[in-house]
Amino acid sequence: MTLRLTRRGALASGLAAAGGTLAAPAYAQTRERVARIWGEPGPYIGVFTNGMNEWAQRNAPGLRFESEQIAWDAVYTKLATDLAARRPPALISVESPIAYQLAAEGLLEPMQDVNTAIRARERLVDGFTVDDFGTWKGTQYAVPLHHQGCLFVVQDDVRQEAGLSDPTNWTWNDLLNGAKAIQAKRQGSAGFTMALGRNLCGDYHIQQLIWQAGGMTWDPGRSFETTFNSPATIEAYEFIKELYGTMPRSAVEFSFLQVVDQHVTGRTGSSFYWGRTMGRAFDEAKPIYEKMEYYLNPAHPRTGQRWSWTDINGFIMPRQNNPFIREAKEAMAHVMNSTDWMVRYANSLFPNVGPVFKDQATAPALVNNPMYQQKKRSVDVIFTGFVPYACNSGHEIKKGINPLAGIGHGRNVWSQVAQRILVNNENPRAAVEWGHRQFEDIRRENRRLLG
Amino acid sequence: MRFRLSDRQVGVLFMLPLILAVGIFLVWPIAEAVRLSFVRYNPLRPDDQPFVGLDNYLFVLEDPLFWESFWQAIVWTGWSTVLQAVIGVGLALLLHQPLKGMNAFRGLLLFPYIVPTVVIALNWRWLFNSEIGIVNHLLLSVGLIDEKIAWLSTPSMAMASAIMLNVWKYTPFVVIVVLARLQTIPTELYDAAKVDGAGVLRRFRDITLPQLAEVLAVVIVFRTIWTFNKFEEIYLLTRGGPGTSTYNLALYAFDQSIANLRMGVGAAAGVIMLVLLLAGSMLYIRVSGFGREDKAA
Repeated sequence: MTLRLTRRGALASGLAAAGGTLAAPAYAQTRERVARIWGEPGPYIGVFTNGMNEWAQRNAPGLRFESEQIAWDAVYTKLATDLAARRPPALISVESPIAYQLAAEGLLEPMQDVNTAIRARERLVDGFTVDDFGTWKGTQYAVPLHHQGCLFVVQDDVRQEAGLSDPTNWTWNDLLNGAKAIQAKRQGSAGFTMALGRNLCGDYHIQQLIWQAGGMTWDPGRSFETTFNSPATIEAYEFIKELYGTMPRSAVEFSFLQVVDQHVTGRTGSSFYWGRTMGRAFDEAKPIYEKMEYYLNPAHPRTGQRWSWTDINGFIMPRQNNPFIREAKEAMAHVMNSTDWMVRYANSLFPNVGPVFKDQATAPALVNNPMYQQKKRSVDVIFTGFVPYACNSGHEIKKGINPLAGIGHGRNVWSQVAQRILVNNENPRAAVEWGHRQFEDIRRENRRLLG
Repeated sequence: MRFRLSDRQVGVLFMLPLILAVGIFLVWPIAEAVRLSFVRYNPLRPDDQPFVGLDNYLFVLEDPLFWESFWQAIVWTGWSTVLQAVIGVGLALLLHQPLKGMNAFRGLLLFPYIVPTVVIALNWRWLFNSEIGIVNHLLLSVGLIDEKIAWLSTPSMAMASAIMLNVWKYTPFVVIVVLARLQTIPTELYDAAKVDGAGVLRRFRDITLPQLAEVLAVVIVFRTIWTFNKFEEIYLLTRGGPGTSTYNLALYAFDQSIANLRMGVGAAAGVIMLVLLLAGSMLYIRVSGFGREDKAA
């Protein structure tokens, strides 16, 4: 038998195949409803999603929650494209500056009902309020999820070897002198490391020094006036310039990962970082872990402040084109009402994910974590000690919520100012003035958010 | 009634997939970019797109970072393309030699071109990490340098590192194309030149180069366009830093669109890039005389 293919037949087959190929994804999507949950890179969002799927299996057959890990300097890319495609995620774990911005943009679903269902106000650990996580103009748009404060990480053996005092009461002067002493004592090792790359981590590290000196980017108390070019900000950048002499030269390209790498490979005596450095050292570098201690950030000599850039992280929910609002809220409440799930969440990347609820923070399964047992003083600093100094760009020095900060989040102006000083040898005052103009542009372009 | 198509109608139907593909994936995105460049568009508010005339173009042309990015894009594209062409032709000549095992070398040469850019860029970040990178470690070990080189932390070294990555990854493309052309040059030309007493350099200058001219013109146009538009390598390797020392126009357009939420400004930058490349390519093709011989024939 011979098979003869006519032109008509070829065309019909081709069109049918093309149609089938195009329809396949749509058909596949109708088989199971998938609600996407966004979170930071790390295992914790997966753990939370597992808890939500436990609810779905019992209460919403055919629905599956799926976690997607998104780095926070990539969140805008993803969010912008998904919103433009009218296909947002069901739920986003987000740092509060972005929550404030999106709430002010009118893009979020109110969350009072969830916060009531989980008794968030009563259960929240001391020092935080539900509003800190994402309230705008009296409406709660975020549900508390975790906190992470940026702190001063020190290798105590290196510190003692350099003859330095207990860092508990250190000021900026002690930090600079201590870093110099460590550098002199240990050839080839940095005295101190922070991120100075043009990235989010650089922004965070720099901002906490600005706040400690008493500076701010915008002042909510004065109609969100741009106040970046204050003497305090210039002082902070001058301090960074001096401190840079004790850092690896390549710190100007460092982001999150490089700072942790530097510390856990024993190439620095101290650094600024969140809890993850301890977790990485516990997993990969036991001798470093054993001598590692966390302290509050060194105080500014004049203001005495030790502000910490803190991820005040909550769940927010896109309001438009989100078909999973009711189910995601119920599933979220199911997980958050379970101390067991919330402990699993915090334990999945210990001690990076600070517990937000009292029952979670005091649960035996969390307190008995080996790292908690071995490093109680440091973990207490990470979980509770820093809380009086917890703020971020959306709530600078706790002087008021600011939705402009979310927009500043993606632009790396703070770290660009540092790079102009350190890489281009620009005068700190001139570089700060450049930064001031960028922030003023953000304020002018987004005045509508301030209402 | 039996439905019959004429040959002409069938021909049109066969062309339809191509017309649709070009329309959807080429014409429509360009038209959409041009449209976006005349509106103010915050991607978080996709339904709100007021017409702003030439404001986005004025913003771009008045922005010092655009001009800084433009000149850096020229440096990045110029060095990358020239080095790829020179090294590519050199390697192609070597691989054209009838030596044992040459096919294996030709296969291996494709490796950088095959590996995804994201893998290469992240590996290079590790290799060139000034603290724990193997490049500094090796150079220190053999005594070639006394102190670590900040490969990605100083403006000039960061640009040089980015160019090196681009040259390493895309030279194989030049090699493949040039090698294919070399294999079609009639050997009689070389034999005749040898009989006439032409040396190696003379044969290269008077036979090989003229024979390669057309293919090199095409390769250089393509490599220039692709390199000028290149985004992911610089983004993944240096993110435009340190400072803005490795910013190119693609990165500028991306940052304006996504980080600064000014999609209209990003689109305007993209349209300006399109015009620049179109003008540059036409000028280059005219100067290089590409296709002139065919027309004469």
